[in-house]
Amino acid sequence: MVIFGATGDLSGRKLLPALYNLAKQRLLPAGFAVVGAAIDDLTDDAFRKRASAKISEFSRTQPVDEAVLQSFLDAVFYVKVDFSKLDDFKSLGRKLDDLDHARHVGGNRVFYCATPPTTYETITEQLRASGLNSGDGYHRIVVEKPFGTDLKSARELNKIVQRVFHEDSVFRIDHYLGKETVQNIMAFRFANTIFEPVWNCHFIDSVQITAAEEIGIENRGAYYDKAGTLRDIVQNHALQLLALTAMEPPVEFEAGAVRDEKVKVLKAVRPLADDEIAKATVRGQYTSGYVLGEHVHGYREEPDVAKGSLTETFVALRVFVDNWRWAGVPFYIRAGKRMPKRATEIRIQFNRPPHLTFGRSAAQELDPNAITLRIQPEEGISLKFGAKVPAAGIRLRSVAMDFLYASSFLVEAPEAYERLLLDCMIGDPTLFTRADEVEAAWTLVDPVEAAWRDGRPSLQMYAAGTWGPLVAAKLLEADGREWHRP
Amino acid sequence: MAQTLSSAPSPGPLEWKGEGVTIAQVLDALTDFRNKFAQAQVPDDDHPHPRNTVMTLIAVAATEAEEKRAISESTAIAMHHPSLVIVVRDQAEVKEGRIDASIAAPVLPAEGGTDLPSHYELVTLHVRGAAASHLGALVDPLLVSGVPTNIWWLGTPPFGTHELRDALQVADALVVDSARFARPYHSFLGLADTIAHAHKRLGMADLQWARLDPWRESIAQFFAPVARRPYLSGISEIGIDYAGAGRGNRIPSATLIGWISSALGWKLQRAVGGAGGVVSAQFEADRWRIVDVAFRSVAKPGLVEGEVGTVRIVGTAGGTTFRLSIARAPERTRRQAPDLGPAPFQHQHATGGEDDAGMEIAQRKAAQHREMAFQNRDSLHHTATGDPPGESLPPRPTVFVRERRRADNSMVLLTLIDIGGADTLRHVQRIESDDDASLLVELLALGAHDPVFARSLAAGAELMRAL
Repeated sequence: MVIFGATGDLSGRKLLPALYNLAKQRLLPAGFAVVGAAIDDLTDDAFRKRASAKISEFSRTQPVDEAVLQSFLDAVFYVKVDFSKLDDFKSLGRKLDDLDHARHVGGNRVFYCATPPTTYETITEQLRASGLNSGDGYHRIVVEKPFGTDLKSARELNKIVQRVFHEDSVFRIDHYLGKETVQNIMAFRFANTIFEPVWNCHFIDSVQITAAEEIGIENRGAYYDKAGTLRDIVQNHALQLLALTAMEPPVEFEAGAVRDEKVKVLKAVRPLADDEIAKATVRGQYTSGYVLGEHVHGYREEPDVAKGSLTETFVALRVFVDNWRWAGVPFYIRAGKRMPKRATEIRIQFNRPPHLTFGRSAAQELDPNAITLRIQPEEGISLKFGAKVPAAGIRLRSVAMDFLYASSFLVEAPEAYERLLLDCMIGDPTLFTRADEVEAAWTLVDPVEAAWRDGRPSLQMYAAGTWGPLVAAKLLEADGREWHRP
Repeated sequence: MAQTLSSAPSPGPLEWKGEGVTIAQVLDALTDFRNKFAQAQVPDDDHPHPRNTVMTLIAVAATEAEEKRAISESTAIAMHHPSLVIVVRDQAEVKEGRIDASIAAPVLPAEGGTDLPSHYELVTLHVRGAAASHLGALVDPLLVSGVPTNIWWLGTPPFGTHELRDALQVADALVVDSARFARPYHSFLGLADTIAHAHKRLGMADLQWARLDPWRESIAQFFAPVARRPYLSGISEIGIDYAGAGRGNRIPSATLIGWISSALGWKLQRAVGGAGGVVSAQFEADRWRIVDVAFRSVAKPGLVEGEVGTVRIVGTAGGTTFRLSIARAPERTRRQAPDLGPAPFQHQHATGGEDDAGMEIAQRKAAQHREMAFQNRDSLHHTATGDPPGESLPPRPTVFVRERRRADNSMVLLTLIDIGGADTLRHVQRIESDDDASLLVELLALGAHDPVFARSLAAGAELMRAL
């Protein structure tokens, strides 16, 4: 596996620790080797030292197993690569050939672009020019989100990558899909008989998808100020969660079948008409406030952010999926930075019973049934239903039945990157996004982005440590609903 | 609400403390606790139990005494109802920002000597500085999703402030005790405003309202028989005697009148407050009939300020007169000065152990001064603040904390019923004491959503404002 941008943050925090943990679980293929490729002038040993430090700091499993780590580091190499220089790619090719001979890996190669999206075109072109995209064995490329900045750029990027690699060999990572809890959405829906019959507009009142983070933009001001939450979270993570929640059962758990169903859903999402965007979307930006008991700065005070920036750090929107199953059911999506806590969840709210057998006053404490799929943290599922309060007479209250990953299984869930890297090596693209999925998602996001650029609706401020601007609550209040507090 | 506890081996009592910490660190420690708990459950049947909770109770305390009370009462509740309890000692007035935290998951002793794993987590946060004014943001990350979050404000909530609005955003219920409000009159109106403008999910409850239950039950019981229902339309006078002077002590009486008037659809016409704590009000009933309501302050042995001593309801219906009188039977002697603990006198005037007689005289004088100070405390305070009697309590910290309620609220109610020319019916009823924990559980069990309280409070506040 070649990691472009091997000295960067993603490589150190996620990729190298994930590969180490795969090694620890003996899941790496025989002869596997990592070749770090970046602009820094490093020797193999210097890179190994750096990798060792990062793995020790960020590995999911602690403390690190020194024997496994040493064995893993023996298969780690480094080549200095300036992406603009073809000769550097040729040097990389020679190194890979040497490793092929020494480790008998049969020419199988995975190129991981842990680099900014602007470099994808250069890297793929250089791989083609240096002939690294062909030969014996498989040749796959992994690219990180965001896949473009709008529909046009995504199409161009797809074209460029597909010129060099066949679509089956392009692995677009949205790390949310590697999370156990996200995969469990499909297991929950399609491996049980009791939920699917009620998973439709006849029983479901609404769906809420929340992706909240307590952190700000950290050191990503320059990137974030151009991207915003709509592109950074909604276009990929949130719409993927929507697709998994709303998709039809695939014929089998196989890449083509699963991704076909996801694309169908994304294409069925009704694009927001120009006059609807002001009513059905909310964009907000955090000001200073208190998060986790600590005072934090406002977005515009963050490093590398323009003083008068209008970039959104919070998004709320309402969309509908125009198909037989979901007709009339609103999907509310909410994503934001500097929220009170980190929480990603999908909440399926069911209709109230058609008749109040016990009367209005007995049921006044009773919320409608709801299923909450908690993606992170406290991964699990919660079912809310009504029960009689133990006392004379009839009074009903909502109670919850909980499933928690942490206490139901005696094994720790692997990191999303472990699963995804392994799938990539195995050649299973089920949990990766296909080109048409990416384009379908941009088709939904582009009109919203365009209206927002025109100031419709206006940017709303919210204090850090709150659940977004007041108008986000009003978006649901207008429909007679309210956001679930994760 | 009760939860069956597992008989699996307990991880033992768990404790964590941190000074100058962040909420993220507290959350990590809490998560670690839960993991340890789940792991300790494995030998049971290889199917670990999650740490269940039926609610999150946030107790906001302004003083050390309140904090101790919050811990003590919430522990009593958690023995039977698995809970996450967050006790926040709010010290917003201290400039230097800092959070000191502790977490405890005690083991509950069980019969037979085996300890039971406790489904009770107690998080204590001492929050100094501006962060304390952002209670919602402070506790939100610690809340358990999917179970009700109740705030129990032990002292006086800062009604009308951003701090309270912020805190209520994360809450499903707010519980207060209007008997402990520092400025009862203003805070009572603040409570009424809060309930009128709170988000629709929020339930609100007042322990003082719960303590009026026996009165309400006794009144309701009189009118319960079908033959007496017409009497409801014949009420012409209501009189209430209460203890203490000043408008702050009229709250329970006003709420009780609010309960009756709102239930029967009466409209307040006029209200006048006179000397000696007398209140006279008139309500219009059935769009034409006038009902006279009067409160008066009557000193009665055994009552603390604000407590209702007597309720009289008089009326005529169908040519028959009726009179209901419910009175607290005098059962105790005058209120004692609180136990102030060992006097510091000896430390201040050490004699070296040679002048015992002199010390004894000094002790007696000190005790006498304390008693006098206690007896005259109100006039001293009101002279100093200019507030009318009963309007406010001396600010904390204070040695002489006067309680508007007794620790033991058991009582005997004597009911006298006169209907027409029949003999007087007498009924004596002993009401057993309810501690705060029991009252709290009772209120929270139903989510503190009590429309009867809400409308009684609103009507009571309308009456108080009209005075």
